[in-house]
Amino acid sequence: MLSEALVLAFFVIGIQSMVPIVMAALGEAVAEKSGVLNVGIEGMMLIGAFATAYMGITRSSAGLGILAAVVAGCLFGALLAFLYVNRGTDQIVTGLMFNIFAVGLTGTLHSLYLAGQNGETLSGITIPGIGSIPWVGEILNKQNLMLYLAIAMAFGVWYLLNKTWYGLYARAAGERPLAAESGGLDVLRLRYPAVVVGCVLAALGGSALVLATSGGFVPGMTAGRGFIALGVVVLAKWRPQWIMIYALGFGLIQGLQFLAAQVAALQSVPRQLWVALPYLLTVVAVVFAPGSTYPAAVGIPYRRAGA
Amino acid sequence: MAVETVAAGDKTETPAWVRTLLSLAGTLVAMSALVWLLGANPLDVVEAIVVGALGNPFNIGQTVVITGILILTALSAAIPFSARLWNVGGEGQMTVGAVAAAVLGIVLPGTWSPWLLVPVVMIGSLVAGALYGAVPGWLKARFDASEIVTSLMLNFVAASLAAWVIFDVYPEGFVQRTEAIHVNAELPRPIEGSLVDVGILIALATAVIAWFVMKHTKLGFSIRAMGANNPASRLSGIRTDRVTVQTFLMAGAFAGLAGSLVVQGRDHSLLQDFSANLGFLGIGVALVARLHPLWVIASAVFFAILRVGSNSLQAGAGLSPVVGEIVIATFVILLMVTKVIKFRYPENVDAQ
Repeated sequence: MLSEALVLAFFVIGIQSMVPIVMAALGEAVAEKSGVLNVGIEGMMLIGAFATAYMGITRSSAGLGILAAVVAGCLFGALLAFLYVNRGTDQIVTGLMFNIFAVGLTGTLHSLYLAGQNGETLSGITIPGIGSIPWVGEILNKQNLMLYLAIAMAFGVWYLLNKTWYGLYARAAGERPLAAESGGLDVLRLRYPAVVVGCVLAALGGSALVLATSGGFVPGMTAGRGFIALGVVVLAKWRPQWIMIYALGFGLIQGLQFLAAQVAALQSVPRQLWVALPYLLTVVAVVFAPGSTYPAAVGIPYRRAGA
Repeated sequence: MAVETVAAGDKTETPAWVRTLLSLAGTLVAMSALVWLLGANPLDVVEAIVVGALGNPFNIGQTVVITGILILTALSAAIPFSARLWNVGGEGQMTVGAVAAAVLGIVLPGTWSPWLLVPVVMIGSLVAGALYGAVPGWLKARFDASEIVTSLMLNFVAASLAAWVIFDVYPEGFVQRTEAIHVNAELPRPIEGSLVDVGILIALATAVIAWFVMKHTKLGFSIRAMGANNPASRLSGIRTDRVTVQTFLMAGAFAGLAGSLVVQGRDHSLLQDFSANLGFLGIGVALVARLHPLWVIASAVFFAILRVGSNSLQAGAGLSPVVGEIVIATFVILLMVTKVIKFRYPENVDAQ
């Protein structure tokens, strides 16, 4: 039967699973708003996860691990931005190939340096006041820094896209690039930082994944979360607050896997069904996402007028 | 998106073959640098790959088998891409085909003659792959749902289905595979002492059929017209919704057949992680072939050598086999950077 402890554990796992998806989806939303579909976030999460695990294991520092994910996000984000924006390579194919590249790179480095090792993890943070509320406190006390970082990121992305000159111009570059350029904006220079920032957020998502589990790296550990994030962005219509809500939904669905293994009544259901559920729901959700359309110029490399 | 060769008068005057060689050289340089940084000798890596793929009849056999599978997964990307439909679900369609082959190969009576059992199982895979492939096509046609997202997600659903069949339905002790299929459902291996099965012939024939369909049939014409200009093709009377579903059906059938080659030809059961990205690599194969069904064959040989050769990297150079993945991804990206692989887009989104 469902015990109180089990339900609490379900929510703890659900919120933990939400964090990487929120970060990746926010990163994707920034890139897409500027007109770049970055299918490479899955690979970027893997690289971020590896960077964090590497520093956690070799330097025994979670802080350096997070920093390493940011650095890796900048470096590979710049590489991807160079390809997507400057060279105008096809975004979907480049992203998919980048994912394969990331599988190869992290797999190779993992077998050379990190195989089978556990590293640093983050422990839960107790917020004074909230921590003593029954149930809510018990769930939130188990959550680490990354949850609060994710919430801060959501505010940050909302502010960036809606309240700054950069957000306004980047959205113009994502909807009507030619008009934006006619208005004196530099479309390429607007898209470039959006891709890099998006990659840093995705890399931090990978970092959150590592810091919430064993601190070690497992090849392919992102297991499609980057792709779920792509679906979440469409569902949430690129709005950060809705990204949080949908990602929580997907996190709780992942928590169901844990719950199903513990509850006798659910054990007759094949456990693979729970694994498949988030992906199936993403398909259903994308089909029925009412009125959700990509920014008009997403996926189309921009060439300067007359170039 | 239609991949096009470089038109006359293009700003970059260097011929495409020179840029292809440049990309290849760039890949070699980048890989050598990486391998050297990792503390291995680049020459050892090249030797390990070549010997691992072509060094003896056994390895050549493996390379031929992988070539056949890659031809089919590449076709499952190349055909929809020609219509600007993004089927990135070849991996899942192949997995469903492999599951169908394993289940049929186990449940159908093993006493049936191979002349009956082999084709029946194979057609089962093909149909299963086609139906699974049709889902994103239908969702695209009916609901305008992004086929990139749906076909990608269905890969993971297929992987769960395979895991269920492997671990719960037909488990084989503690190994991560199903029980073996009937001997009479296995593809024949005509060459004594070699792994090569007739799957490669089926793959080659499929490539020729795909070429014929694209070049000489109404469907092929409609696919190419959609790729060139979707609104114009619709205005000229092509039923683009129907063509979308048909294209995905065909793509799924090719990938499903690849699954049959894996189970009936290579493994004789369904293995956990049997694919190791063969479906995704098909996208790379298709792009390097510039989506041409016959060039897919040559491109698949190249990728198969890399893939099979990489397996001996651990012994030959102390590196993980996934290094091959880096080589392949780098090469395809460089081909795009040098504009050997180019895509056409609607000229001006602002005017839409």
